[in-house]
Amino acid sequence: MSLAFDILLAFGVVFTAAAALGTHDRVASIAGFVVTGLLVALSLVRLGAPDVALAEAAIGAGLTGALLLRSAWRLKPAESRVSPAIDRIIVALIAVCLSGALAWAVYTAPGAALYPALVSERLAESGVTNPVTAVLLNFRAWDTLLEIAVLFVALILVRIVAPAHPQPVVLGELMLPFARIVVPMCAFLAGHLLWQGASVPGGAFQAGAILAGGLLVLMLGGFAVLTPRLLSWGMMVALLGLAVFAVAALSTEALTGTLLLYPDGAAKIWILMIEAVLTLSIAAMLCLLFCGMPRRPLNDV
Amino acid sequence: MTTVLQVVGLTLTTFGVSFLLIAALGVWRLPDVLSRLHALTKADSAGLALIALGAACLKGRPDSLLVLGLCVVLVALSGVTIGHLIARAHLSEGDLE
Repeated sequence: MSLAFDILLAFGVVFTAAAALGTHDRVASIAGFVVTGLLVALSLVRLGAPDVALAEAAIGAGLTGALLLRSAWRLKPAESRVSPAIDRIIVALIAVCLSGALAWAVYTAPGAALYPALVSERLAESGVTNPVTAVLLNFRAWDTLLEIAVLFVALILVRIVAPAHPQPVVLGELMLPFARIVVPMCAFLAGHLLWQGASVPGGAFQAGAILAGGLLVLMLGGFAVLTPRLLSWGMMVALLGLAVFAVAALSTEALTGTLLLYPDGAAKIWILMIEAVLTLSIAAMLCLLFCGMPRRPLNDV
Repeated sequence: MTTVLQVVGLTLTTFGVSFLLIAALGVWRLPDVLSRLHALTKADSAGLALIALGAACLKGRPDSLLVLGLCVVLVALSGVTIGHLIARAHLSEGDLE
């Protein structure tokens, strides 16, 4: 029974991906991309990786889809042209080689098999009981720090490119009751995911993405007016995550002599503080990626 | 008791799936945006609600009703709102032409 489901799911992923690539209408293509992302999230649940599934559904499908739609709105409609057969054959060959290399790397690398045993051996020291959070915020917190830095660099790039802000349009009378229910629920769910990340799947990235989703409802519904002042505040909050994480890294260096080795017995409170700030910061970063940066007139710089 | 719940659950799920199938058929076959929306939004919400109810019966635990109920409410809410938005956008496009 579940085998049939898995096979259907695998075909569904390939089919929706092909549909997303095959259509010339940008919006339909993005819809295909979002559905593919949701099906991939479902397959990750089937593979026993609910943390990745949550991140894929919230960031991969949800917010990336929103970002793509926002970009499609700024571009002209796609020209419908058929690329020559030789181009398509080359692209297909590159895709097959890439997939083959990935499959080879996954099947030959020993890391995937070694990791769970190593993590479960030291889980008690990490301050949390969810192995994924233990790896992300304790054993390999360094990687997460760099990830936040990468996200911030992306934000700086958007600042340099300075895209136009999306114009809020009047969305009708149903938007207000929708926002009244969905936005508080997003805030509530983000807090829940953040808190439960210590013991079961969840965490800062997922919580931040859901919070960002709620904020986007407010912005696109026209309930929150994007003043330059508000955008500057958003920028500050976005910077705060990287700043707090870096300060935490330096203070652990000072306290214990090792970068991001938390003091004995206090690991949980350190992790929770960092994750709470990261949630707000990630939400602010994702929102700013969507709606663009504060713009100053040239003579003001 | 378990068997009764299972039979009820499977029946509800089957009904729900057939609702979704009808919705898909409607989106595929109906001629214009508004009638497609009409087929989609109603059958979609009803189908999902039936499937969630069926899944709760199959699970056999009352606490799963809470999570599944939340899913149904959120999907119904966004379905209604998005249907409204699409219809609105379609009508205002018609005005422009």
